[in-house]
Amino acid sequence: MRQRPTFRLRWPNGLGVLRWFLNGWTALVFVFLYLPIGVLVVYSFNRSRLNLQWAGFTLEWYRSLVENTPLLRAAQNSIVIAIVSTVLSVVLGTLSAWLLHRYRFRNQGTIQTLAAIPMVMPEILMGISLLIFFAALGLGLGFTTVIIGHVTFCFPFVLVAVQARLRGLDPAMEEAALDLGATPARAFWLVILPWLRPAILAGALMAFTLSWDELIVTFFTTSAASATLPIRIFGMAKIGLNPMLNALSAVIVVATAAIVLFSAYVRRLARD
Amino acid sequence: MRPLKNTLLLALALLVAGTVRAAGELNIFGWSEYIPQKVLDGFTKETGITVNLETYASNEELLSKLLAGGNSYDLIQPSDYAAEALIRAHLLEPLDPARLPNRKNLDPAFLHRPHDPDDRYTVPYMSGTVGIVVNTDRVKEPIHGYRDVFQPKYRNRIVVLNDNREMVSWALDTLGRPINRITPEALAAARPVLARWISLVKVFDSDSPKTALLNGDVDLGIVWSGEAAILWRENHKFQYVIPAEGAHQFLDVLAIPANAAHRDAALQFMNYILRPEVSVLISDVFPYTNPNAAARKLLTPEQLANPASYPPHPGRLESFRDIGRAAEGIDRLMTDLKSAR
Amino acid sequence: MHGESGTDEAALAAAAGTKDRAAVRHGTRPSLAARLLLAPAVAWLTIFVIAPTAILLVYSFCDRDELGRVVFRFTLDNYRRVFDPVYVRIFVRSIWYAALSTALCVVIGFPVAYCIGRARGTVRQRLLLLVMIPFWTSFLIRTYAWITILKEEGLLNSLLHPWLAAPLDLLYTPTAVMIGLVYAYLPFMILPIYGSVEKLDGSLIEAAHDLGAGPLRVFSSVVIPLTLPGIAAGTLLVFVPAIGMFAVTDLLGGARVPLIGNVIQNQFLQARDWPFGAALGVVFLVLFAVAYWVLQRRAREEMP
Repeated sequence: MRQRPTFRLRWPNGLGVLRWFLNGWTALVFVFLYLPIGVLVVYSFNRSRLNLQWAGFTLEWYRSLVENTPLLRAAQNSIVIAIVSTVLSVVLGTLSAWLLHRYRFRNQGTIQTLAAIPMVMPEILMGISLLIFFAALGLGLGFTTVIIGHVTFCFPFVLVAVQARLRGLDPAMEEAALDLGATPARAFWLVILPWLRPAILAGALMAFTLSWDELIVTFFTTSAASATLPIRIFGMAKIGLNPMLNALSAVIVVATAAIVLFSAYVRRLARD
Repeated sequence: MRPLKNTLLLALALLVAGTVRAAGELNIFGWSEYIPQKVLDGFTKETGITVNLETYASNEELLSKLLAGGNSYDLIQPSDYAAEALIRAHLLEPLDPARLPNRKNLDPAFLHRPHDPDDRYTVPYMSGTVGIVVNTDRVKEPIHGYRDVFQPKYRNRIVVLNDNREMVSWALDTLGRPINRITPEALAAARPVLARWISLVKVFDSDSPKTALLNGDVDLGIVWSGEAAILWRENHKFQYVIPAEGAHQFLDVLAIPANAAHRDAALQFMNYILRPEVSVLISDVFPYTNPNAAARKLLTPEQLANPASYPPHPGRLESFRDIGRAAEGIDRLMTDLKSAR
Repeated sequence: MHGESGTDEAALAAAAGTKDRAAVRHGTRPSLAARLLLAPAVAWLTIFVIAPTAILLVYSFCDRDELGRVVFRFTLDNYRRVFDPVYVRIFVRSIWYAALSTALCVVIGFPVAYCIGRARGTVRQRLLLLVMIPFWTSFLIRTYAWITILKEEGLLNSLLHPWLAAPLDLLYTPTAVMIGLVYAYLPFMILPIYGSVEKLDGSLIEAAHDLGAGPLRVFSSVVIPLTLPGIAAGTLLVFVPAIGMFAVTDLLGGARVPLIGNVIQNQFLQARDWPFGAALGVVFLVLFAVAYWVLQRRAREEMP
């Protein structure tokens, strides 16, 4: 205790340097993440059709994007499929993560391993085997089959993320709730679930992203009516990567980033 | 959880049901972007038939989805050798010639081809070749064939299709061997040639080989003529050469699968496509060789001058035949050579 | 319900107290309700994972016809071919690529996850979303943007031009593949680590400092051990999918060096050899499942 003054002088320095380094590193990584995005936003205004050399400014691609109904239709399909797949994955993943953590089931290791298999299974094998399976069941291809495929490879990501957070959970948390008279279900709902929120959010983000951008499993399980954006984009790229696709990506990123960054600001504005 | 899932599935079922129309339907499984939207819209406007277009990006994607089952298409768009395999397996529906009067518009050179000698099952859609693109700004020496491309001085300046069978056929052409007779002995002969070639290649790309050429990362390419035509349209420095040793000519066709539900609509669509004024719309978007002689008369001089679409000296052109199980030997050889780098 | 709890119920609860406590201890036998709740997940796995995998298993022992259709005639040829040195070598290379990219993702991603996890509440969620948003563009479009950056006359070379004698030859090399892999998988490392960092108790870090540990020491002996579950989860989510990856090697590597993902892909999309593709997949899955099962088991045994 007598040494406290000198300690106070030294202490912020050590952590300060560390914090400074970490912040700088994080900023650099964000530059890395957004560098290609910057490039594609710039090129979405490029006049050159082939999208490789800069040939002057134009808004033409945004106009043709608005007129391209099949592409917008595919984007709509992608949104529906990604949202439904994410919701199902989160429910399935979170619930099983909790149950597998809380209880010891017979065949626990087998269940755990089975859940991880979709992550390791190459997409083409999963796509073809699911297609053969659906054909054997007589299940017509469409939204349902695509979503089944997506949930199968998305929910393990939620499971793993949630399990990582559950490891080292203090049992006292649930105990306290139970001591106060809550049923196990209510204890889970009121205490555990809120505490799991960061991991659930992380898992949901991963699931949404995987579903949104998946090509191969989707190809084998879709019909014409449920074709998604990646399928359209992959096809269009064959005849030259149309800058319209850059325009589309730019709209998606800029719109979502703006919502994320300014949502709090807008909410405050609305309240005033 | 169960009720939630059921509600979502129900909502989806309604969504799907809402998009399906009862009468006048045509389900096409075609190459992505190969059939212009204008053509589809024109057909729907004229006939009232709704077209559902589902797309694939290679013949093998088409075959694997078709063979796995669980789907029903009315019209597919395979290349000649894939159509040949399907005909041999009795998976295509014979066409009624009386329903296809516009077939008279076709150039006879594209009829009676080996994949379908009597034209019973297929109608030509578009054709093309695989040849050499030379960036004449960078490569000053004349390039006539594969031998001129694969020289040590062009090491890491070459892009080729990422297609094992194509590359093997170039080697066989160079050796003066038939490209459709894939025997262990032929592959053994091609092996040293391919080993040398593979070590010189910078990029293997079947999807968009033009990218590396346009970026200037390579100066020579062996690519689809459609890619070459786009390059030439962009800059005339990209010249197209049909290899002197022999070149692969492919023909993409339209065909009706044996289990098709709407054969009548499919035949109507085939005949519609064969109209010159419709066929020319395809050429506008896709600069391959149009087999429709009547449509070719409607092309602009600029389109006809494109040496990749309409080569002035076609040279020795050959079709691919279906080689069945021999593809296994090709795959093993090429995987072995590539991974030895 | 709570309002009604009279003395009887309180007494009952007190009497059952010890039993309740025992139930909370993890690893107990599941109740019927718990088993019913897990049933949908188990059913899902049985129907949509086991059944398709079983199809692959059957196919891997089959022959095929000229068209590539599977013929149900028992053979071991496909497995004999899997253990051909060519494919074994490719397999080893794929694992090496995946391991290297996973290690890079840990090193690059950990500080980011840490920073986000220690940020204030509202900032934290926004930063997390910002990590993921670039991946809401199409993979193909992003990769073509990387080609624009890495090519010989590209953005990077023009920026570095004043300091370089010759332009960097990056595109279509293993370096470009590695950049592409790290880029594609980084968020899948950052997000799970974030989940662990976020629950880290700040007072532990301060306590370590109080005891005179330097920043590096604090990191290595307090922060890293406490966030190990997150790192392990991230490693799983990156390493495992990266082994079977094929698109990055095709687009940024120029498809020059095949990985196991490319070989499997080729069996379906070039060679029309489903049984061999299935056999490759089965071996791949079995190796993974055994390794994973052993690790899981060991982890559980280590738990008190």
